[in-house]
Amino acid sequence: MPREMMKKKDEGKVDKVIDKLSESFEDNRLSTKKTDLLSYSHDYWPISLHWMLEDKFPSIPNAVVWPEDKEEVKEVVRWCYKGRVPLYPYGGGSGVLGATVPEKGGIIIDLKRMRSLQVDDQDLLVEADSGLNGYYLEDSLNEEGYTMGNIPQSLYPSTVGGWVGTKATGQFSTKYGGIEEMLKGIEVVVPPGKILNFKPHPRTSTGPDLRKLFVGAEGTMGIMTKGWFKIWPYPERRIKLSYASERLEDAVESVRKVMRRGAEPAVVRIYDEMETKRHFYDHEDIYGKIATVIIIEGDEKIAEVEREIVEEEFIGEYKGEGPVDHWLETRFNVKEASEFVPMGVVFDTIEVAVNWSNAEELYERVIESIKPIKGVLFASAHASHFYPQGICFYFTFAGTPPRKKDAESFYQQVWSEAMKAVIGSGGTISHHHGVGRQRKDWLEDELGGGLKMLKDIKEKIDKRDIMNPGNLGL
Amino acid sequence: MPGRWDWLKEELSGISMLTKLPTMTKFLKGKISGPDDMTKCSMCPNMCRHACPISIVDGKETTSPAGKSRVGMMIENEVLSLDRENLLPIHMCLSCGCCVVWCPFDFSVSDILRPVKTRAVEHNIVYEEFVELFDDLRENGTIYEEIEDQGDLPDDGDVLYLRGCEYREGDSEVIDRTMSVLKKVGTDPFVIYDEKCCGIPAYNTGNIGLFEDLIEDMAEKIRGSGADRVVTSCPSCAYAYKELYPEFDQNIDAEISHIVEFLEGKKLKFAPNKNTDRFTFHEPCKLVNGLGKKESMQDLLDRTGLELEKPRRNGDETFCCGSGGTTVSRLNEELSSEVARERLSELKSLSDEIITSCPTCKRTFEDNDEEVKVHDIAEIVDGLL
Repeated sequence: MPREMMKKKDEGKVDKVIDKLSESFEDNRLSTKKTDLLSYSHDYWPISLHWMLEDKFPSIPNAVVWPEDKEEVKEVVRWCYKGRVPLYPYGGGSGVLGATVPEKGGIIIDLKRMRSLQVDDQDLLVEADSGLNGYYLEDSLNEEGYTMGNIPQSLYPSTVGGWVGTKATGQFSTKYGGIEEMLKGIEVVVPPGKILNFKPHPRTSTGPDLRKLFVGAEGTMGIMTKGWFKIWPYPERRIKLSYASERLEDAVESVRKVMRRGAEPAVVRIYDEMETKRHFYDHEDIYGKIATVIIIEGDEKIAEVEREIVEEEFIGEYKGEGPVDHWLETRFNVKEASEFVPMGVVFDTIEVAVNWSNAEELYERVIESIKPIKGVLFASAHASHFYPQGICFYFTFAGTPPRKKDAESFYQQVWSEAMKAVIGSGGTISHHHGVGRQRKDWLEDELGGGLKMLKDIKEKIDKRDIMNPGNLGL
Repeated sequence: MPGRWDWLKEELSGISMLTKLPTMTKFLKGKISGPDDMTKCSMCPNMCRHACPISIVDGKETTSPAGKSRVGMMIENEVLSLDRENLLPIHMCLSCGCCVVWCPFDFSVSDILRPVKTRAVEHNIVYEEFVELFDDLRENGTIYEEIEDQGDLPDDGDVLYLRGCEYREGDSEVIDRTMSVLKKVGTDPFVIYDEKCCGIPAYNTGNIGLFEDLIEDMAEKIRGSGADRVVTSCPSCAYAYKELYPEFDQNIDAEISHIVEFLEGKKLKFAPNKNTDRFTFHEPCKLVNGLGKKESMQDLLDRTGLELEKPRRNGDETFCCGSGGTTVSRLNEELSSEVARERLSELKSLSDEIITSCPTCKRTFEDNDEEVKVHDIAEIVDGLL
């Protein structure tokens, strides 16, 4: 058994709910086996991975259930609500902020056995079940001549429901948008066990947009069972461009002007000097400069016009397709975490967004806030998503805790300093990873009185606080 | 040209030695020796989940590729005891190698977990289903009860055709057609009547002792046949003879090929295609990922001139039939069938006529769907040559 286990409250109530569920779920879709409970005790939050490496399991569920349709999801919600048992929706487990960690015990509901999809060619929509694998969806669409354009680094392990839950966005978002823009309709199960269906429309002016209540709610408001997403014809043209600039501000300013003129390259990534060296060490002519890789795609004619706009605006030397191909080949590589984290290196990423007017200040302040912390080896960033109004910076840091400091405190110190710098620079604390359990303490700084409103809404929907309790600080 | 880690050296140049030393040491240790493979795999967010047939169909973290490694790590760390219940997720692996294709470390989850399975067998922690299998392998030398060879096949020639347990047990038609193909390409095929299992079921289940016994016997038989060329119908057999036997010091001098490999590069004169049916195909994982023949079966089929519908999951993105790896079909028949149905649903959306090149895939599809007609590639080639 785990060496450290959280003492769970109300075991009796949980057991009764599990008994009830076992009447409808066969053995292989409801489990209280140790292997399953431990497997769902974490997600890809570095803190929870660290627990696993240390053989510590402070948060384990009492049971895991795998529904196959919305009626089964409804039943799970109903019984958990009745028994006041915490319920945590689970997708691909690739979230990096602990959103699925079952901190109060209870039941994990894994949606991955719900995975059907249906394409509507005329309306350019795909109807996808919550548990559908990201790559499965995109590859199936590509096969039929479409793309959804949501290509997060977690495309391979993540699910559609996870994308909506975390308000995710992908590497090609500058053209295709974030998941909130793709989502046109949603089916959810909310406490005490009701199915709500918000059908897809091109646009609707019917009061506040309730679909959005579930986007980024990270399982605190209900469980998405299905979504309708906009899709695009598979791009007939792809143009790859790269540049080397002398200064970060030159590259940033170039992209600002491109966006201002209405061009929407699918991918734009600007690497600061250190990340250029790290990612493009085998491109000698870029090394030590500021690398930018750009992919423009879509209709042939539109793509050509966008290329012209980029070429007119970019301050930097054109470097061809090579660096873009390199990025395409390496963009899903996450091996460094496997190599270094078990050796005691603390390593993480922090993605934030800021308007153009504060972009430079935010970048400088975050880097300057992390680097002086004792034990930090490096802090760097690239800009990965762009809007006419601003930019997302994606910071990476690594280090080892100094003597007399444990890894978790060191990690939290870095995060705390970075978050303060972001808020102080007028940025938003999260761009696409969400909040989870890691960022919840800064949500009040971000939302102000809005946090109380969010809590009130949550209480109205989920009076017994069963839906992912504690997540988002709700 | 700057080196891979020059950026780090430059970054560290401004930091005092006292500050950077602990991190540098850990960084270097990570790079040079690093953690063991199981830990590395456990620390991955499942970047091969989409390719793992079990993970896609079962939908459970516990049986996802990294999830299996995490269970293995917890067993090794004694967080979980080494018992049948805890070992079960580890055995939910089809040994298809679909994970390897996407792994930056080229890990095979099946290989990573084999030592845990082997330790279990050494401690006699085995399932009843395995005991039966081990008994059959030990006593009969096959995965079935004793097979009585039918027909009148030559026992002398220049190419040894190893039919494999599956076809010997239940499909003499494919055996005849394969012999016919081998003759049509100008060889003089023969069989050995005391052919035994290649050993791979023992290997898959972690019974390395039994595997070693089986391969010693079979390697001796192949060597004793005097053949300098061996052809198999089963890609797993070919994989065992070519890749695993030498690893376990059983070297066979003869050149070994699966039938698809054997026909690769051969001049084949196909008759004009009069067949109006449309076919689809299923590439066996051991051919594609085990033997590394990512395009060979498609190339061969293209040469036949048949009307072919290519499945979405093809080449090194192929999908297991559900019976690979020995263990899933024995310990969780329903899951094995679910994988088969997942693959069949994709293939049947294209055609009910399926061509494959593996006896296990053929039998699995036939067992799971009465409507489909599954052809071994040798039957197709023989009909057109």
